[in-house]
Amino acid sequence: MIVKKEPEQFQNYLSDASNYKGFADSVYIPENEPEIIELLKKFNEQKTKVTIAGNGTGLTGARVPEGGVVISLEKLNRIINLSRKEKFVIVQPAVILKDLQDFVEAENLLYPPDPTERNCFIGATVATNASGARSFKYGPTRNYVVGLRIFLPAGEIISIERGKYFANGLKGHLITAPGKEILFTLPDYYMPHTKNAAGYFCRANMDLIDLFIGSEGTLGVITEVKLKLLDLPKSLLSSIAFFKSEENALDFIDEARSISIRASNNQSRSPSHLNASALEFFDQKALNFLRPDFQNIPGKSEAAVWFEQDYNDNDDSIITNWINLLKKYNCDEDSVWLAINKNEREKFHEFRHAVSWKVNEFIAQRNFKKIGTDVAVPAQNFRQFYSWIKKKIELENLDYVAYGHFGDCHPHLNMLPKDEFEYQKAKQIYAEICAEAVRLKGTISAEHGIGKLKRESLLKMHGEENIRKMAALKLIFDPNKILNIGNIFNENFLERV
Amino acid sequence: MKIAVCVSHVPDTAAKINIGSDSKNIDQNGVTFVVNPYDEYAIEEALKTKEKFGGETVAISLGGDANKETLRKALAMGIDNAVLLKDSGFRDSLSVAKALAEEIKTQGAELVFFGKQSVDYDSSIVGQLTAELLGYNCISVVISFSLDGNKITCEREIEGGKEIVETALPALITAQKGLNEPRYASLKGIMAAKKKEIIEKQPVAAQNYIEIISMKKTESKQAGKIVGTDSSAVPELVRLLREEAKVI
Repeated sequence: MIVKKEPEQFQNYLSDASNYKGFADSVYIPENEPEIIELLKKFNEQKTKVTIAGNGTGLTGARVPEGGVVISLEKLNRIINLSRKEKFVIVQPAVILKDLQDFVEAENLLYPPDPTERNCFIGATVATNASGARSFKYGPTRNYVVGLRIFLPAGEIISIERGKYFANGLKGHLITAPGKEILFTLPDYYMPHTKNAAGYFCRANMDLIDLFIGSEGTLGVITEVKLKLLDLPKSLLSSIAFFKSEENALDFIDEARSISIRASNNQSRSPSHLNASALEFFDQKALNFLRPDFQNIPGKSEAAVWFEQDYNDNDDSIITNWINLLKKYNCDEDSVWLAINKNEREKFHEFRHAVSWKVNEFIAQRNFKKIGTDVAVPAQNFRQFYSWIKKKIELENLDYVAYGHFGDCHPHLNMLPKDEFEYQKAKQIYAEICAEAVRLKGTISAEHGIGKLKRESLLKMHGEENIRKMAALKLIFDPNKILNIGNIFNENFLERV
Repeated sequence: MKIAVCVSHVPDTAAKINIGSDSKNIDQNGVTFVVNPYDEYAIEEALKTKEKFGGETVAISLGGDANKETLRKALAMGIDNAVLLKDSGFRDSLSVAKALAEEIKTQGAELVFFGKQSVDYDSSIVGQLTAELLGYNCISVVISFSLDGNKITCEREIEGGKEIVETALPALITAQKGLNEPRYASLKGIMAAKKKEIIEKQPVAAQNYIEIISMKKTESKQAGKIVGTDSSAVPELVRLLREEAKVI
């Protein structure tokens, strides 16, 4: 096991992609499960805070320590077992998502969750219930987790498979490896019918494995994950279409979304029907960020949509269906790019990824933090919500860029303040956007999670009483209050239970 | 004006290459093939030239049926016609050049684009040989191309700098990265490409002057060693450089 005690040796463990900075006494890098147990037991007895570190790709400060020690799981990076026949893979938590996807693809299998940043650890994607472009069709990480091995702070182990342990109403009951019974009550707050990564997943009679998925490391340490895999689709239609107006692009997405949802719900429909697996939007400002690197972006386009669909290479009717829909919304056929092979599909992925990092680079040069939304609302409220947000930001004269998973009604609207005054203004607008999302039955965090940066918004979404119930639940699993303290809710809630 | 572009079907640069059991070919198992990256610049320049001055474009490739995939991509990007010179045996650079030159002559193309090299055999010579066989002017490793009437002005990369060269049609240009940004195929282009026929022809026979005797993998380098990450590692690093690597 590597132990880093000198601050200059572990600076990179004190922040994540959000640029939020924390502090810690030391960093431990265990190489196997017994070493993790040993560390947990020791720190549990000492009541020393332990923050579990993933690969630092998160956007909410979830892996950023606020005191105590960091345990980085980076050495637990083995793919343990893949079953081609039963279509599952068992991995250690620090396997990189991109590596896992390439690995299963070589076996003609698909692991669908695809957060834009694919350098993340699998364990961390489970901890935040990560999702991405393809979640429009395939759903988030939760849908693919079928088994977890979890270490509790006192060194006990919970092994849980999907479909085996269910809550009785809101009452939960689990047994740890040494045979200790854990009894708990689930909170019963409203969970939005959108993509959601805001707080514990809680529902009457739920499968208890879902409690741990998206719990941001606050209940236990994930040391092994069993994931369900799908057959790799024969081919993938991947395309970026450029539109003359934002309105055209948004109308196109609206119609593609409803056709796709209908097609997915109605399996009897012919497989040649239009059925998107991803629908991603870019506004004009996002395109302007990309133009230096993608010089072929048509000069007059004001918005773009990247869409994907699984299909059979020889099925031209799907392409014709897409062309007809694009024409309906005034999209010039010549300004629709199509990826011919995997390399080009990767380039389209890079097109999407580049927006995020170019915006981050731009704001870092200004020495400010961007304020980005992760809100999602139900489809019927989406257009109204999106134009409301834009009007609000434009009224305040703030620079912004809009892009994101519009198929899932999940915009990443990034405000780009130029100075402290604008930064404060942006923070205020951010709070109003979150409040409006909640009012429209949506979520304040669809995929990034809460971590340490979005606790205030979660508090507003669920109210103090429910947060207190979450804290009470955490204390059952972590009575000494050591594990990932500060994620999801403020530490104070652990005192006030 | 008729513009020809010669394209090669090569293993993806990211592919892991193994030597085949005969030691004379690569093992194609699990290897993805793509359009030779430098040829994409050639295709783009041919398309841009046609868009500016009109005319007709034709893509020519020499190889087996698999090369049709590369020709299909050229068509999807907007090339008008495609010719496959069907031959799956080994040909050296001169023999390839002879076959291509013959077809370019048949096509009557007076402007020809090549990639500066194909990333499989990397000989960087087929374009120049073809130009010589045709008696065309040739400018290689080009990063900027312009045509004005009969006059061609190109910028080409040379060691440590750039060179501006002028010549006249008929001419053959070999493309270097930086010449342009190749376009993606459009949805419309794909549909059009599916309807187009790839014309198959028998290439002219030509003698090989080069024979592949055997292929070998280069020996892999030993893994590097991290002695430490801060100043405390310096004495050990100096000791290793002196005693093990013997470089200081």
